[in-house]
Amino acid sequence: MTRVVVITSGKGGVGKTTTSAAFASGLALRGFKTAVIDFDVGLRNLDLIMGCERRVVYDFVNVINGEARLNQALIKDKNCENLFVLPASQTRDKDALTEEGVEKVIKELEHLGFDYVVCDSPAGIERGAVMALTFADEAIVTTTPEVSSVRDSDRILGILQSKSRRAAEGREPVKEHLLLTRYSPKRVDEGEMLSYKDVQELLRVPLIGVIPESESVLHASNQGTPAIHLKGTDVSEAYTDVVARFLGEDRPLRFVNYDKPGLIKRLFGGK
Amino acid sequence: MSAPVPARPVEFRNASIGATVAVLRETRPHLVADALHKMLGGMPDFFNGEATLLDFGELGEAPAQIDWAGMLSLFKRFQLQPIGVRNLPPELATSARQAGLAVLDGAELRDRQSGGPAIDSVAVRQTPDEPTPPQPVPEASPAPIPAPTATMIVDRPVRSGQQVYARGGDLVLLAGMSNGAEVIADGSIHCYGPLRGRALAGAQGDTRARIISTNFGPEIVSIAGVYKTFEQGIPANIAGKPATVRLGGDDNQHKLGIEPLALD
Ligand SMILES: Nc1ncnc2c1ncn2[C@@H]1O[C@H](COP(=O)(O)OP(=O)(O)OP(=O)(O)O)[C@@H](O)[C@H]1O
Ligand SMILES: [Mg+2]
Repeated sequence: MTRVVVITSGKGGVGKTTTSAAFASGLALRGFKTAVIDFDVGLRNLDLIMGCERRVVYDFVNVINGEARLNQALIKDKNCENLFVLPASQTRDKDALTEEGVEKVIKELEHLGFDYVVCDSPAGIERGAVMALTFADEAIVTTTPEVSSVRDSDRILGILQSKSRRAAEGREPVKEHLLLTRYSPKRVDEGEMLSYKDVQELLRVPLIGVIPESESVLHASNQGTPAIHLKGTDVSEAYTDVVARFLGEDRPLRFVNYDKPGLIKRLFGGK
Repeated sequence: MSAPVPARPVEFRNASIGATVAVLRETRPHLVADALHKMLGGMPDFFNGEATLLDFGELGEAPAQIDWAGMLSLFKRFQLQPIGVRNLPPELATSARQAGLAVLDGAELRDRQSGGPAIDSVAVRQTPDEPTPPQPVPEASPAPIPAPTATMIVDRPVRSGQQVYARGGDLVLLAGMSNGAEVIADGSIHCYGPLRGRALAGAQGDTRARIISTNFGPEIVSIAGVYKTFEQGIPANIAGKPATVRLGGDDNQHKLGIEPLALD
C-alpha cells in the first residue's frame, strides 16, 4: 500500500520544501521506493533543493494535462537509488492542479509500486495547499516556534480534517505529526521564541521532531543536496531521527536544550 | 440619483475581540461585492468563515435603509460571517436586529487600531438569530412532551477558522478548541480541554445556558447574547483552570459571572 504524506504549514518560509527533500531522501535511504511531488505551481523550488533543476523536461501539470507520461516526468534522484522527483511547473497558473488530475497521478504512483508519496505543499490555505493535502494519509505539520506560524498550522490542521478525502469519506482521520523547524534553543531560553513544549501544548499534535536552526541548511540548498545527506551536522541527524520516528522507532529528542556557556568561557571568550 | 462610490468601499481590520472588523464606507451590496471581488478575487477561501463585525463608523452619509439580506448573503459568499454591527446610525438599528445582527455600542467596543481605551468587559444583548415571523394561531394541542435535546459531541480539536454549531442542544468538546475557532450552542457548552476561541452558549436566548471548561482561556464568551471579552487577560484564579460561565453573576441579570470550578 502506498502512503501519501503531505508536508504542510499554512505559513510560508517555515521549511516545508527543506523538510520534503530531507524526509523523502530519508525514507529512500531506509529502502522505501519514494516519490516527492512539488505542489508549488508557479514557484518551483523543490527541484533546486534536490539539485535536479537542469534535468526538468516535463512537470506535474504536463502529466495532469496528458501532455507527458508520468515516467517521462519523474526525475531519478542523484543520491538515492529509489527516490524520484516530480517537479512543479514554473509557468502554469495555479488552477492547473485539478482534484481529478492529482488523484490520477497518485493512483498511477501506487500502480508503479511506490511505498511513499511525499507532497511538498505551497504556503497558504488556498487551492494549491488544499490539493496537496487532499489525498494525504499522514501530515507533517511544519511549524516554527512563532505565534503566527502556530496559528497558521492550527488552521491548516482544521482544513486537513475537513477537506481531505479521508475526512470527506468519513474514513479514519489523517494522521497528524508536528515538526518544529528553525528551532533555536538559545532564543527559546532567552524567551524570544516559544519552546517546543509551548507549541505542542497549543496545537495538541504528537511531536515527530525538532530541527535546529542551522547554517548547514543554506549550504545544503546551495549545493542542491537535501540536508539529510550532510553527514555529521545537527540538521542531518535531526531529520534522520524524524524518519526513524515516522517509521515507529523510539528516539529521544535532541538539539532542544541550550547549554549556557560556562563561566570560564564567558570570561575568556573562545569558541 | 446615485451617491458617489468611495475610494475604498470596504476595509478589513483586526479587532481585539476575536472577530474581524469590516469597515464599510458603502452600503449598496453590489458595490461592496465589486470591492470584495477586487480585493479577494483569487482567494475566495481567504476568510474561512470568520466571525465579522460590520463597522459603519466611516460611512459618509447615512442611507435611508440598508439591504441587510443582500449584505449578509454577500459576506457569506466571501466566507465571512457577520455577527453584529457597530457605529450604525440609530435609525437603522431595528432593521439590523431584525436581520439577526447584534447591535453593539461603538463607544464601548473598540478595536486596538482605533486607539480607544481598552475595555475588559462588554455586555451586549443580542436578539435571536432569526426575525420572528408572525405566529399562526396554534391549534388546540395535547400537553407538550419535552423534546429530547440533541447533544452534539465533537471528538477532535476545533481548530482556528472552524465553526461548530449545536442547534437545539448542548455541545460537548472532547478535545478542546483553539484560538480563532468558534463554537455555538443553543444550550450549554461543555469543554474538556482548552477553551480558547469564541464560545457562544444560549444562542437562541436561553439565559440558563452555561459554559463549562476544564482549561479556561477563551477570546470571548457569550450567554444568550451577553458577551465578555478578555482584553486585559483572564483572571489568574481561572486562567488555564476549570471554570464555569453563567448569566447573572453579581446578581446582575445582564452580566456574566465566571467562577472557578472545583473538580475532584
Ligand atoms: N533548519 C533550518 N535552519 C536554517 N534555515 C532554514 C532551516 N529550514 C529552512 N531554512 C531556510 O528557510 C527558508 C525557507 O525554507 P523552505 O523553502 O524549505 O520553506 P518553505 O516552507 O518550503 O517555503 P514556502 O512556503 O515559500 O514554500 C530557506 O531559505 C531555507 O534555507
Ligand atoms: Mg516550499
